[in-house]
Amino acid sequence: MSMHRNNRLGRRDFMKAAIAAIGGIIGAAIGLPAIPYIMGPALKKDVGDWIRLGTTTKVELDNPTLFKTTIETQTGWINAEEEFSVYVLTDNGQDFVAMSNICTHLGCRIRWIPDEEGFFCPCHNGVFAKDGSVISGPPPRPLDRFETKVEDGILLVKRG
Amino acid sequence: MLAKLGDWLDERFDWHKVWEAIFLRKIPHVNWFYTLGSATLFVAMTQAITGILLTLYYVPTPDHAYDSVVYITTQLPAGWFIRGLHHWGASAMVVLTVAHLLRVFFYGAYKYPREATWITGVFLLLVVIGFGFTGYLLPWDQKAYWATTVGTQIAGIAPFAGDWILRIARGGDELSAVTLARFFGTHIWVLPAALATLIGVHLYLVIRIGISAVPEKDE
Repeated sequence: MSMHRNNRLGRRDFMKAAIAAIGGIIGAAIGLPAIPYIMGPALKKDVGDWIRLGTTTKVELDNPTLFKTTIETQTGWINAEEEFSVYVLTDNGQDFVAMSNICTHLGCRIRWIPDEEGFFCPCHNGVFAKDGSVISGPPPRPLDRFETKVEDGILLVKRG
Repeated sequence: MLAKLGDWLDERFDWHKVWEAIFLRKIPHVNWFYTLGSATLFVAMTQAITGILLTLYYVPTPDHAYDSVVYITTQLPAGWFIRGLHHWGASAMVVLTVAHLLRVFFYGAYKYPREATWITGVFLLLVVIGFGFTGYLLPWDQKAYWATTVGTQIAGIAPFAGDWILRIARGGDELSAVTLARFFGTHIWVLPAALATLIGVHLYLVIRIGISAVPEKDE
């Protein structure tokens, strides 16, 4: 029925195969470029650039100090200024630990409360110690840290 | 496996009958001009697919529309390709629709009993032109802006209702953010809905009535 006698490809089957092949090529020509087109921005990683926070003398001894700075970001077609906050801790004025202010649980902003000696997250009561380790609550890991360096008395951290 | 699934579904709602009615229907001996309608339908489908893909990134506001188009064209992988298909497909739509119309006209295929098919076809042509007119503004570059300024101004010349038409098209006196937003909404919601409905009726009639043969010399 579908094949002719002596196994020759019939007209109808040839047309079917041709339509399937051409349709497949056209489908692939549109479908395949669509994948990187959709995925493109998701695959783009931020480059880790160095961000200047301020003079090292501003960092209080043994007390997490908040540095706020604005950074220029480019997302898609929008250039924007974004606030970037880092807690910096030092116990000798020489070595610095820079910690992200983003809770490792679900990304809310944490805050250092000096009287309570802890970083508190308002969303789900996550609490971190001075060095960023988890004291209580749902956070799965300590606060993220940034690479730091000092240039001419200016503290810099590496983003990303 | 696939055949089994087909049989299973067939047992339940006889889909094979629908398939046969659409693809295995009897047609007279015709020529290549009879493929123009299918070609138009095919380009319409690619326009729908590439158009949906473009909306993933395009933003219809004066401050970002052009930037988002530049982003699609220069930053995204294959963005130039998707946009290019949509751009050239738009011209192809108009050319193919008109060519299809001319074939039907010169073969006299619009006559009894196919008048309703012809009329839906004429409305489809208007929808296609509407797509072209509204889509042309969306890149929000100089060409788009001035083409729409002129286009809406032409509509404004119409006697009596002209001024109203112009103001409704622009959403005010001037071309503005309101114009861009309503052209976008029309382009991606209103016209596609009209197109889909009209194509549904048009194809139903084509299949239901059957297509006309190539007319004889003495007809």
